[in-house]
This record gives sequence, structure tokens and C-alpha cells, in this order.
Amino acid sequence: MPAVQETIEQVRNIDVDQYKYGFESFIEMDKAPKGLSEETIRFISAKKGEPDWMLEWRLGAFRRWLTLEEPTWARVHYPKIDFQDIYYYAAPKSTPGPTSLGDVDPEILKVYEKLGIPLKEQEILAGVQKPTDDGEASDNVYKSGRVAVDAVFDSVSVVTTFRAELAKAGVLFMSMSEAIKEHPEIVRKYLGSVVPTTDNYYATLNSAVFTDGSFVFIPKGVRCPMELSTYFRINEKNTGQFERTLIIAEEGAYVSYLEGCTAPQRDENQLHAAVVELVALDDAEIKYSTVQNWYPGDKDGKGGIYNFVTKRGDCRGDRSKISWTQVETGSAITWKYPSCILRGDDSRGEFYSIAVSNGYQQVDSGTKMIHLGKNTSSRIISKGISAGHSNNTYRGQVSVNRRATNARNFTNCDSLLIGNDCGAHTVPYIEVKNSSAQVEHEATTSKISDDQKFYVMQRGIPEEEAIALIVNGFVKDVIQELPMEFAVEAQKLIGISLEGSVG
Amino acid sequence: MNIHSTPKLTAAETALIDAFGERFSELPGDATVAVKRDDAVEALKAGLPTRRVEAWHYTDLRRLLTNVPGYDSTLAARAKPALLAGSTVLPVLNGVSGAGASIDGATVTRLVDKLLDGSFAPALGPREPADTVGALNTAFVADGYFIDIAAGAEIAAPIEIQNVQAGGQTHSRFPVRVGQGAKATIVERQTGAGNALTSSISHLTLGEDAELLWIIVQDQPDGATCLSQFNAELAKGSRLTLFFMNAGSKLVRQEIRVRMPGEGADFKLRGINLLSGDTHCDVTMMLDHLAENTTSTEIVRNVANGAAKGVFQGQIKVAKDAQKTDAKMACNTLLLSDEAEFSTKPELEIFADDVACGHGATVTEIDRNHLFYLMARGIDEKTARGLLVKAFVAEIIEELEDEATVEVLEGILDDWFAEHV
Repeated sequence: MPAVQETIEQVRNIDVDQYKYGFESFIEMDKAPKGLSEETIRFISAKKGEPDWMLEWRLGAFRRWLTLEEPTWARVHYPKIDFQDIYYYAAPKSTPGPTSLGDVDPEILKVYEKLGIPLKEQEILAGVQKPTDDGEASDNVYKSGRVAVDAVFDSVSVVTTFRAELAKAGVLFMSMSEAIKEHPEIVRKYLGSVVPTTDNYYATLNSAVFTDGSFVFIPKGVRCPMELSTYFRINEKNTGQFERTLIIAEEGAYVSYLEGCTAPQRDENQLHAAVVELVALDDAEIKYSTVQNWYPGDKDGKGGIYNFVTKRGDCRGDRSKISWTQVETGSAITWKYPSCILRGDDSRGEFYSIAVSNGYQQVDSGTKMIHLGKNTSSRIISKGISAGHSNNTYRGQVSVNRRATNARNFTNCDSLLIGNDCGAHTVPYIEVKNSSAQVEHEATTSKISDDQKFYVMQRGIPEEEAIALIVNGFVKDVIQELPMEFAVEAQKLIGISLEGSVG
Repeated sequence: MNIHSTPKLTAAETALIDAFGERFSELPGDATVAVKRDDAVEALKAGLPTRRVEAWHYTDLRRLLTNVPGYDSTLAARAKPALLAGSTVLPVLNGVSGAGASIDGATVTRLVDKLLDGSFAPALGPREPADTVGALNTAFVADGYFIDIAAGAEIAAPIEIQNVQAGGQTHSRFPVRVGQGAKATIVERQTGAGNALTSSISHLTLGEDAELLWIIVQDQPDGATCLSQFNAELAKGSRLTLFFMNAGSKLVRQEIRVRMPGEGADFKLRGINLLSGDTHCDVTMMLDHLAENTTSTEIVRNVANGAAKGVFQGQIKVAKDAQKTDAKMACNTLLLSDEAEFSTKPELEIFADDVACGHGATVTEIDRNHLFYLMARGIDEKTARGLLVKAFVAEIIEELEDEATVEVLEGILDDWFAEHV
């Protein structure tokens, strides 16, 4: 049975030509000269007023990068990127770095307002709902008053909300540039300790040219009092966005962090090569959620963001836990594998993903669970939906090291195809070197079973509704992992795309 | 990563290329075959595949292939009694085929004759750059059998291809054509004494509505290297059951490449890998569902003991036109020792939107509850473990139905357990 009409229509609703965030804003920008060289890196470092060690770290990465070749193993195809044809630094002239809200260019505030991300704390707290141009984007998690936002606009963070309140709890939440200046000892200790500068082609490039990103530090025993979030916006033409996020949860700390991203509609492809590093010490827990909605290109596959991201969490401490949840609908090409290194004994890694691809989008995404400590466990739940001419690949690795006694993994990945011009692929790598391990993997590509449907329908529920019910059950695994406020927004996105589809 | 340099040839690579230089004048074939051989050796000169080549991700042949003995025509290999009683045995002894046999409903030709007259040349050559087994075999292939089963023939007695090594190196091919509606059983044995380097390739073309059971048993000595390939093409409505059992050799690469261009074709794969010592055994399956209503199920069970390393890569592709495909693959592994390893990559690549495909993979130790159940009934732990491990693999054999066949295969299983567990 092919996908039902309702599903097809609903996936169509989030098809590439329905992209809602494609507007462009004209803001005067301060840019580095085009191209990549040691000069560019010195320019970025000087702009940010960085200490020498940071510049050296960047230059080291750059020299390493020059010796590397672009990887080709992923199931994605694109013309070669001209790294000399990109601006590596673009900051709004009026707001060249993080500042207080009053100093932020009203034009930029307008952009965020249009996206539904209010940055004015008083208004958020007062629950003021300003009418926006796009009514649909207005009631989302960011207006709930329980989320602190770091707004990154092209290469710089323009403002971080609720800092004072977070500081009371001892939580450090600021842009990476500020952290390098204000807390160099912490940054130096952890930066590159999870994703080293030598890690891979794009991570090495990012190490050399990263311009901003978010820094989160939760001290020992603190439960972060609110959701933290970074909203990434690419606005300027021909720029690449290279952000670096570092989240550290000390012993017993807890944080839930959300990431959102959008970009204007353009014919050119833009590169986004981020690195995210998470460190969880003993008993700490980090929950990292992403709603990735970069511009996916038009219906003919023209334009769109290349999303080449390295995300990795290190469960460094015993009993620590890192959980990745991602809802992927955007980007022309996605190439990312949020991973967990389960180093501490009894540590746990989780990965929940829904990836919907439309148009000519190409998704090659998944995770890596590297079991090193004893009694470590991991769970992978991935749901992929391909439509149009897109290709959607799950690629994941579960590796149980010789010393990882009693490691446990459960992996489940399901895919659905809508139409006959797309592809769904599953490429799991399972490597077990310890006999006490329990590793289970299952993957399916199929339709809702007639039995399930019959069961619901014979209770008087019409077919389409029955399918919707079953599908809601199908995605529940992933949705329930999202922070509550965020889930509402994501559910809308997913509700649209999954209803009427399959398991 | 990704720093490329032209590789310096390893000792094994050099030995292979040198062996070709020495053997070339004696290898059978007309000019068309010679050209294929030359091209294949050129491919080998680029170096054996490493982990970077995706199809060889878990078997770094460049590092693992160290045993390259020369061809030795003086070695004597003896034919063995047939595995299944009443079989017609077609022996290849130390790389040389016998006179052949006459089988009602089938024609058997020595492959050396088809190399000499060049009629086999079109089938030679690697299928793609990563087809190292194909390249190696093309360069050196000297003999084998061509079995042609007539349309409508129902051959009751199994036909046993017996590839017996005596040491040195041998390279053989076994093309098999099964006519429309024919039925037969073929047993392929890779066996012998001495630590030989073997490459062996079979090609099966299954006609419309034909039905075939193919059983591969590999039990070469502990130091042997066995590189083999099973190719099959399934026409409309045909049914193939492939059963394999690996219970020997130090280095095994077994490729199973099946294409299903015929509507309604069915493929069943049942495999057992018994791994011990420092064996490295890689079974790689590439299956293409190319037509509507094709079905397949694949079950591979592995038991790894000692410091053995096992690999199963199973790739199922479903083409755009292969609607209503039903494909299910499972790979289950029991690790019996702390040094044993198993890696698996079950891959699905799907371009049709109305299919049911699934794969499952597990790697575990023996279930404690099962063990407890048996021990609570007064069975000592060692015996209980033995029972459970055997049951885990024997399940696959029992599916074969024919009692005599099941008994023989379980016998091999018992022998292996007695010796290695």
C-alpha cells in the first residue's frame, strides 16, 4: 500500500517551496575580505579581541586543514565547494558583538520577531504577544517565558537573554567570544577536548574560522532553572556560518538546551559547518534538542544550506547521560552524526531523530555510540521520511570496546518513502569486541500493517484517523524526548509531515 | 584522514604479481582470455583494498593477506567421499578438474576447455573496482566446471563440486546454468589440506520457475586463505535457497552477489559461521531486488570463540521498479570469548515506495535465563552452554527439511564444537 493521500498532502505542506523563513533582511554588515588564509583567521581573531593562545589554536587547525581532503564517503552529491569564495566573517555594523538588548539594532530585533523569537525579556515575562507579519510563527516555545536565548546572527552573537537570572543560579550562558575573554581557563580546558582540531575536514575548518556560538557552563549540583537556547540565523550572502558550541555540565548538573536555525531563500548554496561539544561529568545530564530548518533550496534543487556539522557528547563521568533529539526538515544537504562517547561507567547515550526530506534534499545523518566504560547503555531511535526527489540515509555506528563489559544498545530505525523518485537508506555499523555486550539493531521500511489499521477501524474510527493515530504512536518515541514547550512546536512540524504515514 | 599517497606494494601484493609473471605462460586461454588476465593484474597493481574501500570496511585485505604460497603442480590432492550420499562428485584437485561425469539432464564441461577456446572470456574480469576477488581470480583462473542443467530436468541426486586444496594456490570457477523449470541440488565444498590460497567463483543463472538448493561447506585447515564469490541471477518465478557454513580457514572472504531481475523470484539465504582461533571471516552479501514481487529472507548465525573476528555485511537494494518487494534480513551473533569480535553492517538502500524491508542484528552472549532454565534441571553449566550454542545455529540447518542433509550438516557442527568449544 503506498502512502495515503493525507500524508502526501501534509508532507507537501512543508515541501521546499513552502519555506516560511526565507525572507531577507538588509542590514549593513562588516565583513572580512572574501577567502580563506591565515590573514582571514588573524582578522577574525583580532575582531574578537582574542588572546594569543586562541589565535595559535586556530592557526594550528588551519595548517592541519590544508593537508586534508574533503570526505566523500557520505551518500551526498554536490559540486565542489570553493572555499575561497566565501566570507568567513560577517557581523552587523551596528552590533558587532554581544551587547545589552538596548543596543541591538532594531532591524535585527525585527528579524527575530518575525521568526517568532522575542528577545525583549520584559515583554516575554509580561507575556506580551506582539502581532507579527507571520501570525503562524508567533506562538511558540520562545514566548513561553521559560527559555533563555542566545541569538547568533551570521558570524556573531547579538544578544543573550536572561543572563542575570541564570547567573544567580551560577549558570554561565553567553556567547563563545565572551567566554574566551571572561572564562579563558574553562574554555581552554574543554575546547577541542571532545572534537579535537584534527577530527575531520569540516571540524578542522571550523576550529580555524569559527566566529561565535554559545557557551554553557552548569556548575556542580546545579539544575539549570530554565531551558537554554541558541537561535542561528544566516542572513548575509556568500557567507559561511561556523559556530562553535560548548556545553559543560559539572558533577550532578542538569541542562536542557535547544537549537533552532533558519536562513533566507537564495539561489546560491551557503555553507554551515558547526561544531558542538558536550561534556558531562559524574552524574550530570545534558539534553540537546535541535529543530533544524535551514533553507532547503527550491523545488528544482537550486540553493539551500550545506549543513556539515560535527556534534559530539562526551559522557566523561560515571553515571552521566547525554541525549540528542533532532527534528530535521531543512538544508539542501545534511551531513551530521550527533555522537556519544560513553567513557564513564554506567553512562548513557540516547539519540532520537526525525528527518523529513523533500525536493532535492539529501540527508545523511545518524549517530555514533562508542561504548568504552562498563555497564554503559545507549538507545537509538531514528525515523526517516523521504519525498520528492530526495534521498534520506541513516548512517550509524555502535561500537563496543573490549573493556566495555555489560554494554547495552538498542537501535531502531524506520523509513518511509513517498513517491517513486526518492530513496531511503539505512547503513548501520555494529562493532562488538566484548562478549558480555547486548546489541540489538532493527530497521524497517514498510507501511502500517493492515492488522493495526483493522484493529483501530473496527472500533468505528475512519481510516484516515486510524492511520493518524497509529502514526502518532510511531513518532511518539521521538517527540516525547523533546522538552515539553518545544515539543508543541516540533509536533506541529512533525504532525504535518508524519500524519497519514507509516511505521 | 584522507591523506593520500601512492601505496608501496606489500610483500603479498608483490608475491601475487610475481606469481603472475611466472605462471602466465602456463595459464590456459586464448588471446581474449589473456587480455582479461592482463587487465586484472593491472587492477591488482593498484594495491589490495584497505578499510577505506567501503566494501572492505572490516576486512583490510592489504594488511590481512600475508599467506601467498606459489602454485605447486607436484602437490597431490585426493577426492573425498561425497558429503551427501548418492551425490555425483565433480572434483577439482589442486586446481585441476577431473574428466567430468555424465549426469542425466545435465551437461558438464571442464572449464579449462572453455578458457582455451575463449568462450568463457566474456564472463571474466572484476565487476567493479572493489571486486578484488574477481580480479584475482580472473588473473589466475585455471580450471573448474561448467554445469548446464536442461530445461525441465529434475535431478534427484545432488551434484557435488569438490574443490580440494593440497597447499600452494589455486583459482577456479564454476558457472552453472539451470534451464526453465528445472530442479536440482548443488553442493559446493571448499576443503583440503595444507595452507592454500584459494579463489573460487561460482556463477549461477537460474531460468524461469527453476528451483535450486545450493549448499556451500567450507572447512579448510586453520592456516588457509579462502576468497570466494557466489553470483546468481534469478529469472521470473525462480527460487533459490543458498545455505553456507564456514568452519575453517584463517582468512575468509565470502561474497554473495544475487540479482533478481525476474518478477516473483524468491531468494533464501541461510548461513552459519563457526569461528575460532585467530580466524578472520567476512561474509559480504549484495542483493538487488530489481523486479516486482520479489521476495527474500536472509538469516546468518555466527558463533565466535577464541580471538576470532567475524564480519557480516549485508546490502539489500530495492530498485525503483521493484514494488511489493518483501525483504527481511537478520544477523545474530554469539560471542563466546572475551577476545572474539563481530562487526556487522546490514544495509538497506530503497528506491521503491511500496515495499516491506527490514533487517535486524544482534550481538550477545548466551541468555542467562535460558542457561538458568537448563541448569535448574540439573544440567551442568558447560553442557548447558553447549546445548544452547548448538541450538542457536542448528535451528538454521533444520530448515533444510531433507533429513539426510540435516544430519550430515549437524555432524559437521558437532565435530566443530567438539574441537573448538
